[in-house]
Amino acid sequence: MDIMISGLRRRFGRVEALRGVDLAVPGGMFGLLGTNGAGKTTLMRVLAGVLPPTSGRVLVGGHDITTRAGRLAVQRRLGYLPQDLGLYPDLTTHEFLDYVGLLKGLDDDAARRRQIGELLDMVGLADVARRRLKGFSGGMRRRVGIAQALLGDPALIVVDEPTAGLDPEERIRFRTLLAQIAGHRTVLLSTHIVEDVAQTCQEAAVMASGRVVFTGPVTGIIDRAQGATWEVVTQGPPPSTGVVVSAVGRPGGTHYRVVSPTKPDPAAVPVQPSLEEGYVALMREAVPS
Amino acid sequence: MRRFFAVCRYEFRMQIRKRSLWLSTAGLAVLIAVAQGDRGPRYLPADADAARVMGSWALLFSMLLPIGFGMVLADRLVRDHRLGAASLLASLPTRPGALVAGKYAGSVAATAVPALLALLVTAAGEFVHRGDPALFPSAVAAFAVVLLPGLAFVAAFALVGPLVLSAPLFRVLFAGYWFWGNLLGPNYLPSLTGTLLTPIGDYPASWLIGERALYAGTPGWLSFLRPEPGGGAALLSVVLLAVLATPPLVFASPLLARRTSS
Repeated sequence: MDIMISGLRRRFGRVEALRGVDLAVPGGMFGLLGTNGAGKTTLMRVLAGVLPPTSGRVLVGGHDITTRAGRLAVQRRLGYLPQDLGLYPDLTTHEFLDYVGLLKGLDDDAARRRQIGELLDMVGLADVARRRLKGFSGGMRRRVGIAQALLGDPALIVVDEPTAGLDPEERIRFRTLLAQIAGHRTVLLSTHIVEDVAQTCQEAAVMASGRVVFTGPVTGIIDRAQGATWEVVTQGPPPSTGVVVSAVGRPGGTHYRVVSPTKPDPAAVPVQPSLEEGYVALMREAVPS
Repeated sequence: MRRFFAVCRYEFRMQIRKRSLWLSTAGLAVLIAVAQGDRGPRYLPADADAARVMGSWALLFSMLLPIGFGMVLADRLVRDHRLGAASLLASLPTRPGALVAGKYAGSVAATAVPALLALLVTAAGEFVHRGDPALFPSAVAAFAVVLLPGLAFVAAFALVGPLVLSAPLFRVLFAGYWFWGNLLGPNYLPSLTGTLLTPIGDYPASWLIGERALYAGTPGWLSFLRPEPGGGAALLSVVLLAVLATPPLVFASPLLARRTSS
């Protein structure tokens, strides 16, 4: 399910959260990176039909979501996991999924129940299907969230910051789950955690200050730091030029990895950049300090 | 319609599990039973007919129970935002109107169950005392014409009011309105008490009992809303309450949409 966005703007009072976004999202798993406040969540909410755009054009699978009919057509094929999804504490896991399934229009009771059972198995929550959602951990809540998003076998899945706040084990589990479900679908993963995109996506976009500043293969982000990533080993203070991306203390001194267009220290040696370093280089270009 | 029924079913299920709903009903019902004074239905003659006994009880319950229900219902629409479920609901292919109507119907049903149960328990108590089996159908009838219209009226405002005001402010204003517009004698201050617009069911109760139950038709402010009690006036009161409950429900969808998109 392709997504074509052109000239998308969204304003909240005097604040413009999206400032003319142009983006094409092909099928498969697609990452959307950006700092907090870059406009990712606003873009996700527009795509989910929760927020109407102030101006611009958004076509999802050929449907114009600025029209009521187009929005409903997209929502019938959409699975959406909002940032900080709240669950009804008085319902059990099964009841919550049944409720969402009914609102998605899954009217065949037997088929809906079967699908809920399969999804609960898939996300590892079958044992707690009859337990009330009150008291679920953050990881369990996210898994309920992804299960509801998958109800109805949607062609487009939009997940907003799904791994924020999860412990490393839950994050890896969740990433694997997302990669599994991508298959024939379009999965749009919005996150500020570079590692999540590195591990799951081949294509990505980067947002900064309400605009898309990069779109293309993930390797293209890495390329932004080619020739601008350095390692400095020193027992003194960190290099004063560039952005220190990591610092590891070792017996011979601290190993700093630095993103800088110029050599940050006479002892600096060029190294192969990672995605995180490419992202830092990109953000320095997009939002100069 | 299936989505309306789905929302209604799950809203009902969520609310009926709320301890506060049962505790407020039980607490107020006990208070009413104990503190009703010698004009209350407990002191009606032993040969009083079942409709009169249960009509009086229903009116008594109707004076206080809706306050508790109004408080409990005041967060039902705004809580989707508080919990973080509003964005998910807005992304589903369900029309906002079905969502609001379903939540309203589920809320009314969920508050109706403990109210009806309280009245049936009372009927059982009266049955021990009076031995008239007609008390039970009379309890159901009194519930339907005295308590239920008031509950439906209160539910509409309690659901939608907090979309405009904060829920705590709404609760304070609602309690103030309830005493001013339903219980304050019309001879003290200009008040809606005793008019066709009082949701405590004064007119339907008067019709059931066969005489003025409380203040229905007592001369006072807005005299055109104070006809003599009777079957027609009771029906008109119920219809007017239903009509008055409609605008908040109609405005709920755009208010919710505005809240979600801000």
